Amino acid sequence: MRRISTGVTTGALVLGVSLAAMTSAVTAQSVTLTLGSWRTEDLAVWQDQVLPAFEAAHPDINVEFAPINTNEYNAAIQSQIEGGTGPDLITCRPFDVNNEWIGRGYFSELDGLAGMANFTDTAKAAWTFEGHAYCVPVAAVLAGFYYNVDIFNELGLTPPTTTAEFIAVLQAIQDSGKYTPLAMGSAESWQLAYNGLYSVGPAYWKGEEGRLGLIDGTKKLTDPEFVEAFKSFAAWRPFLPPGQEALAYPDMTQLFTLGRAAILPDGSWNINQVTSTGLNVGVFGPPAVEAGGQRYLQEMPDMAIGINAASPNQEAARTFLDWVAGPEFQQIYVNTAPGFFAMSNQAVTYDNALAQSFADLKTGASLTPRLALDRLSAGTPPLDDEIWRLLQLMMTTDTTAEQATQELQAGLESWYGPQKGN
Amino acid sequence: MTRPATARWSLLLFVLPALAVYVMFAVAPLVSSVVMSFFNTDRTLGSVFVGFENYIYLFTEPVVSARFWNALVNNIKYFAIHVLVEVPIGLLMAALLTSGALRRSEGVYRTILFIPATLSVVIVGFIWRLIINPLWGVVGFPLLGNQMTALPTISLMGVWQYVGIPMIFLYSALLAVPNDLVEASRLDGASPWRTFWDIKFPLIVPQFGLIVILTFIWTFNGFDLVFALNGSAPGPNYSTDILGTYFYRTFFGSSGQVADLDLGATVATVIFTIMLLVTALYFWLVQRRLRAHTV
Repeated sequence: MRRISTGVTTGALVLGVSLAAMTSAVTAQSVTLTLGSWRTEDLAVWQDQVLPAFEAAHPDINVEFAPINTNEYNAAIQSQIEGGTGPDLITCRPFDVNNEWIGRGYFSELDGLAGMANFTDTAKAAWTFEGHAYCVPVAAVLAGFYYNVDIFNELGLTPPTTTAEFIAVLQAIQDSGKYTPLAMGSAESWQLAYNGLYSVGPAYWKGEEGRLGLIDGTKKLTDPEFVEAFKSFAAWRPFLPPGQEALAYPDMTQLFTLGRAAILPDGSWNINQVTSTGLNVGVFGPPAVEAGGQRYLQEMPDMAIGINAASPNQEAARTFLDWVAGPEFQQIYVNTAPGFFAMSNQAVTYDNALAQSFADLKTGASLTPRLALDRLSAGTPPLDDEIWRLLQLMMTTDTTAEQATQELQAGLESWYGPQKGN
Repeated sequence: MTRPATARWSLLLFVLPALAVYVMFAVAPLVSSVVMSFFNTDRTLGSVFVGFENYIYLFTEPVVSARFWNALVNNIKYFAIHVLVEVPIGLLMAALLTSGALRRSEGVYRTILFIPATLSVVIVGFIWRLIINPLWGVVGFPLLGNQMTALPTISLMGVWQYVGIPMIFLYSALLAVPNDLVEASRLDGASPWRTFWDIKFPLIVPQFGLIVILTFIWTFNGFDLVFALNGSAPGPNYSTDILGTYFYRTFFGSSGQVADLDLGATVATVIFTIMLLVTALYFWLVQRRLRAHTV
């Protein structure tokens, strides 16, 4: 009895050792990386398109896409990383949340990564902390103005290029009496900022110049260029549909897709819904202040990918990110997820015609992210939320641009260091 | 015969499962959130005991405290509208249901009136949002877009949805009123109106008081309907912000607001304290003295 059991044990041991040797031989060859993301809707995009393309070029590296529900993403990633079970690759939120994560030491620095040369500083800004880059930019969203081409043709209008032309076009549509000029409502205050002010405003505050000026404290919201920007947005009010105070985002989209409104100020993320009824839709960018003036376009960094500092597979992860930074990935990703745009400075073509015309708006325009999401909203009251609230007041009550900017500046000065001493 | 000591132990044993669940999922989180409100969590220093600092911040920081008081006042209005509209309508419906005037259709009405209470708030919010939509709906006025009308509008949606609860509550109380008393009052020549107010109502006063205090608890715990309609920073200009949404915004953060767990726990503790005090006061001062007439 005893002999047999010893024999069995020895046999099992030998088998176990050889198995272990085999697995270690396999791991030496191939590495599996997990990629955490909040884009559950992109599962098919990654599994069927993006990752096979990468694995074809790098057979020794396997990447597994492991998405988490959007609303739980931040909390889940935080607890996973603190608990030591985080994914090798982490999808990065833009600006403040990510700065917090970088500060906690979640990410490995990417400074030496060759692919990072494909991105400008503005493109990298949302994931740069104290001068170091931590995430490879994946995609941005753009915002501009969708317009109903048939209505424009019927009324003999062309897309405006200056503020004056823009107002003239709105007036002409209003005068025709058949259509609402602007499909926009104030019920959801976020989109007054994201689809309105942050689109037309940069032409006044000169994009990055004004935004960075607020951040380093050399500019104030009460400066004339900001007040002018708020005024320029307030000038839309007479052209909004009746009852706009209570119209929500889906109402706006419907008003436009049903052909009852001529222009929809909106973001590229809504591309599929806007064209869903087969409407003949074009897109134009925010107007310049004067003829021949600089054009600006809101490019909001949306996602990037960084490496978990605790991951044992740093080299493989860097190889993957180098590929993500290149044109092959960008080309695949933006075409399988329309509405998202590549942030690199290499040429990418878009199969979706409207997406292509959105991308074309970038040519010759100065790009700038949303005004208040970088540092200016990391305190109480957060500037971004306050801008939503005051824009809503401007569009629904008799609050003026001067009053709004004064209140915003006072709120910002109450907690934001660089603005305090002014 | 079981000896008394054994009986006591077995009683404890029977209570234990429920008690364990209750402690684990209600008492422990409550206590830990109260504890959390006395700490300040910092990235570099970890959790540090700060005494009442979070409370002082909550009540003295100009923006934070202004929003808190605004949410509290809104919540009081939200409660007042529910009590003044929902409870009386519920009472009226219960009285009609038990009056015998509906005869055989009583069950049908009872069911129909109760159905909204079984709907999801998201659906209720969506339906009402469409009905009062200035573009496609029946009202041209932007009810939800006006600071004066937004909160009453949302409150009335809540009333519409939950009027079935006080109705069914008071209905069952009215059913329990002894028939011989009602009979006697009718024989004495009392009108149905008089019978209701002088015979039936005094007999259900304790339940009536209870539904009022329950409405208080529900509205001060309120969150879902406002959140479903207006999100976590409910506008316009925070005119529909109530304590639940204020807490949510503080604890979980909103799009532009970074989550502050300690301050969120502080807000939760303050809300809990308000509800505890009001409920305790009510039971101590009012409910104790209300007594069903003994027959």
